[in-house]
Amino acid sequence: MNNNSTWQFGTREVVYGAIGAALYGALSWVTNFFPLPAAGNITFRPAVAVLIFFGVAYGPIVGLLAGFIGNTLGDMISGFGFYWNWSLGNGLMGMVPGLIMASITDFKARSQIIKAVGWGALGIAVGMLFASLTEMFTGGIDLSTALVGYFTPAFLGNLVVTAILLPILMIAFAGVAARRGR
Amino acid sequence: MLVTWKYRPRNTFIQRLDPRTRFILLACTIFALTIPDIWDYRILVPLFLFSLTQFLMARIEWKDIRRPLFFISFLVFFIVGLNGLLSGRGGPSTVDDPNSPILFQALIPGTTWGLTVTVSKLWFAMNQVIRILSMALPAILIPYTLDPNIYGTAFKRMGTSDKVSFTMDLAFRFLPTFARDLTITMDAQRARGYEIDKLKGGLIARIRRLAPLAIPVTMQSTVTGEEVIDAMDLRAFGTAPRTWLKELHYAPRDYAVIGVGIAIFITCCVLKWGFGIGGFFVPDFFTKALVG
Repeated sequence: MNNNSTWQFGTREVVYGAIGAALYGALSWVTNFFPLPAAGNITFRPAVAVLIFFGVAYGPIVGLLAGFIGNTLGDMISGFGFYWNWSLGNGLMGMVPGLIMASITDFKARSQIIKAVGWGALGIAVGMLFASLTEMFTGGIDLSTALVGYFTPAFLGNLVVTAILLPILMIAFAGVAARRGR
Repeated sequence: MLVTWKYRPRNTFIQRLDPRTRFILLACTIFALTIPDIWDYRILVPLFLFSLTQFLMARIEWKDIRRPLFFISFLVFFIVGLNGLLSGRGGPSTVDDPNSPILFQALIPGTTWGLTVTVSKLWFAMNQVIRILSMALPAILIPYTLDPNIYGTAFKRMGTSDKVSFTMDLAFRFLPTFARDLTITMDAQRARGYEIDKLKGGLIARIRRLAPLAIPVTMQSTVTGEEVIDAMDLRAFGTAPRTWLKELHYAPRDYAVIGVGIAIFITCCVLKWGFGIGGFFVPDFFTKALVG
């Protein structure tokens, strides 16, 4: 299920990048109708777990494309516009966990699930930090506002969702992949 | 519940522009404000009016734009307010002018910590709102005025590879399918007693209960993906440069608009680096209006 070289960009990456993006956009859209309760400006986006799963399962290129295009799609169908820095931040959020694709050989193994969640957390930190810090140049906000107003809520919300849903996605994927034999 | 694009064909000047022109103009506006770091109201206000003109020219119906506009306005005011409360910094250092008259001050007793609103900080916050909106207004327009079928072609013609452009094209085609799959799955789970709109329990339990919705659709999509890969491989996808059904051609109006965008960017750079105009300052009329 996981025998591609990490940075290969072929038909497989094109298709799963597109599927990941469409799922990310569609799930973001659906959960807009049923928002989870949150404190302050923290929002929980279950779609983030799916994005990180695509990174872990199919590699950094798929994660990058799914995050960048998926965020653009989600913002489009919600009517929020096009914000290149948040789309790129979401792309990084999918790309970083994709770096361990080659080392994930058993999606059911506890140690590998923990590793995936850890890299997912790193991806969330990198992606959201990038998007938040670029707001300093575009919005003229200071570092503390970027960290408190943008980064912390986004990081915490995405981390909670990933820690809960990513293991479930990985275990389910192990079953599907075993049945298909690829 | 069907996914609907925000795009509607409208006979407007904005929608007659080539999609590449729209992206280039947006980039020029963002770069013009951020690269030379413009904070002078004499430049910000005309640029804001330019963005507002584009927004009004797009003739988007109020009922369509109301919700995102409210959301973005809330976010802008929240962040600008938070910035003021935390420090009032972030822009040029002159915002923290210690000689600026104090309008409001609330300090923690016995400390120098607290909220201090000066004329300089208030003017900076107003400039910040205008600056952010100058960049956000043309960005908000894009989903409403760009045909979703043209994104892949537009990015291809702007220099991205066939594969990246095709990924974008494919994602736009998959989206309604997956949105439909999600609603079908939701209905099927509801028939089994699953209530997504009445999720009970703590936060973790609520997030976990989204699994019956997200997992089946995600797993089904991975299976669908294998079939699509086989179909594309059988058609030799990626073995040679591909052609694109939709053709894009610049019209004279596109050259004119791109020219305006580049002129804005160059003017901002020349004013800032050549003449030292464009930095932050508080105009006398504002100070006089507030403190006499």
